[in-house]
Amino acid sequence: MIRGKSKECIAMLLAGGQGSRLKVLTEATAKPAVPFGGKYRIIDFPLSNCVNSGIDTVGIMTQYQPLELNDYIGTGSPWGLDRNFGGVHILPPYAQSGKSEWYKGTANAIYQNINFVDRYEPEYVLVLSGDHIYKMDYDKMLRYHKEKGAECTIAVLDVPLEEASRFGIMNTNDDDSIYEFEEKPKQPKSTKASMGVYLFDWKILKQYLIDDEADPNSSNDFGKNIIPNLLADGKKLFAYQFDGYWKDVGTLQSLWEANMDLLDPSVPIELKDKDYKIYARNYAEPPSLITKSAEINNSFIAEGCTIKGSVKNSVISTGCKIAEDAIVINSVIMPDVEIKSGAVVKYAIIGQESVVGMNAKVGEIPTDGASAKEDICVVGKNTIIAAGDVVGQ
Amino acid sequence: MKMTGIIFSNVYDTSLGDLTMKRTVASLPFGGRYRLVDFVLSNMVNSGISSIGLITKYNYQSLMDHLGSGAEWDLSRKNANFYILPPFASGVTNVYRGNLEALSNAVQFLQSIKPDYVVMCDTTVICNINYKKALAAHVASGADVTVIASRDLRAYESVDSDLVLTKDESGKATDLAIGQDLGDDSLVGMGMFIVERKFLLSIINNYVSRGRYSFEKDFLLSRFADDSVNVNVYEFKGPVLRNHSILSYFKNNFRIMDEAIREDIFTTKAPIYTKVRDEAPAYYAESSSVSDSLVADGCVIKGKLENTVVFRDVTVDEGAKIKNAIIMQGTTIGRGAKIENAIIDKNVTISAGATLVGGSSSPIIVHKGDTI
Repeated sequence: MIRGKSKECIAMLLAGGQGSRLKVLTEATAKPAVPFGGKYRIIDFPLSNCVNSGIDTVGIMTQYQPLELNDYIGTGSPWGLDRNFGGVHILPPYAQSGKSEWYKGTANAIYQNINFVDRYEPEYVLVLSGDHIYKMDYDKMLRYHKEKGAECTIAVLDVPLEEASRFGIMNTNDDDSIYEFEEKPKQPKSTKASMGVYLFDWKILKQYLIDDEADPNSSNDFGKNIIPNLLADGKKLFAYQFDGYWKDVGTLQSLWEANMDLLDPSVPIELKDKDYKIYARNYAEPPSLITKSAEINNSFIAEGCTIKGSVKNSVISTGCKIAEDAIVINSVIMPDVEIKSGAVVKYAIIGQESVVGMNAKVGEIPTDGASAKEDICVVGKNTIIAAGDVVGQ
Repeated sequence: MKMTGIIFSNVYDTSLGDLTMKRTVASLPFGGRYRLVDFVLSNMVNSGISSIGLITKYNYQSLMDHLGSGAEWDLSRKNANFYILPPFASGVTNVYRGNLEALSNAVQFLQSIKPDYVVMCDTTVICNINYKKALAAHVASGADVTVIASRDLRAYESVDSDLVLTKDESGKATDLAIGQDLGDDSLVGMGMFIVERKFLLSIINNYVSRGRYSFEKDFLLSRFADDSVNVNVYEFKGPVLRNHSILSYFKNNFRIMDEAIREDIFTTKAPIYTKVRDEAPAYYAESSSVSDSLVADGCVIKGKLENTVVFRDVTVDEGAKIKNAIIMQGTTIGRGAKIENAIIDKNVTISAGATLVGGSSSPIIVHKGDTI
């Protein structure tokens, strides 16, 4: 405890995963630092949610390729998390007397940071992950947790029954208390999918983390160990229903889809909301210059771009250059990419600082619409596609 | 060699008319997301200057709101000295009678800091300049005063108060006049001067107490005339945009779309910083048509833009047609509205179907917060 001060609720954000399903995009970058939506990184969403919910103390547990993420978070000032007491803290694994080890699993990552959490003497700890796009007021969840007298509350989303077997499913009683948790059930009994947002009474979580660590057969994972153990012991677990937009962007397809969702007015994810801003680190870029030859339809374009070509149904990130006669269709262009004249980019994700050479062709329009998301062509970070090259056709 | 920066925020307030009715020249929006002060402040920061005094007299609320603690310019540090210097007490809302009078407000600041040299700047001139190089030239010249000047007269309209100079090859000023053409070979001052701090303090002390308030006219010109001051001219060769009137301000907003000027002024090596507002990227609808325009974050464009500068958080509804215009932050342009040759200030609402057409050299100005 620090000089008699304490926090009611702090957040612990799991940002250590490699994100191997994002392949070339996470070769040198932790998944939460992957660009999204033109000017954001994935981690801006949980961080902004914390700030917008009144949570001012966040521990970010990192271990895979953390440099870019560390740099991005900095002092936390872009999110207003540079606080005298609390604020944002990067928590890599560290050597402790007796033993030193990497984070073995999600539960172990928090186990190794029990001392960090204890410094704030919180009543509640919110456990978040860094690979979801959603806007959620955690304070409402906290109120619900208190009302229900819960010891653990898990945020759930109603998913279509046919998709339920892809998620961790919470089976609940009429009062929303959870009696069973099934990871990817073949025969789902409910459509309440876990969003990977957990709220715990810290005293209870701490005990279960210590017990879990003592179990040599545990894989030290929230979904596989901690939650089932709590249920087995008859603890009070409740499901908190969330109605807004939520998307796991752990795969290239879903990352592309989530970007396209921004362009679809029927999808309820609004970035332009004065009362609920998504904060991001800003780099000093001038407004984008759109020239006479440019043609832009249904697209987001961040600042610092020079657009001379044609852009349709796409998200163009900060600092991109799209030359005359270049065509970009249904694509996600990450920051500082240059697309030279005559190049055509369709249904693709182009990683940061890459160059698509003159007349190069990247990706193609999927032959039948239904399989669109299976056919996304991805160019990694810092890659040069030579003039005239054809990729992904 | 260390340098401190002095910025005058209120000079030229009167020549920009309606645009500076409720703000200082320094806080006049420019170029889609900036205020004029951002350019000189960023130049100073990018030149390694971390002690800066900004002199202001009145109407400075918007300026203070914009600058905050200076964090966006990396000036909110324990070892930086960034001060906004309003008058100690003054119920008078007239402009300073000259920059020396303004400087008398900064005497305590100038006495309290350590750097040996001072660079003094207006906020009306836009460029991307490295003052470190200018200081090195000043010191090498051994001169009492260095005037930073340029031959780039693209955006130049002769103004009575302009300092016009000629120089020899070594950079020594050979002739000096105010508001007078000295021939093809002349350079025009950029409202930027370098002097030694202690020398500046003695000038302020000697001149203001004798009722002489202009650094250029009362000090520089008269001392030059009797050959008792050694003036060095530092020629800045990059693009220079001078905003000394509404018309030049209007035109300069479009000039930064010129790619050579844009690359120079907004070079990533020395970025121009400004207040961050956390807006979403700009959205261009299916119905939009945009050509030769600057568009900032937070905009929703459904209508047509041609040769237009659009600041943050502007909405242009379907069927609206905008040409040769500056649309400032937070303004909404209604469906089917037609706007040409106009400066639309912040948070204005232009109703559906409204028509506003100004002349190409006399743009219509719509005041902050108005509904039309």
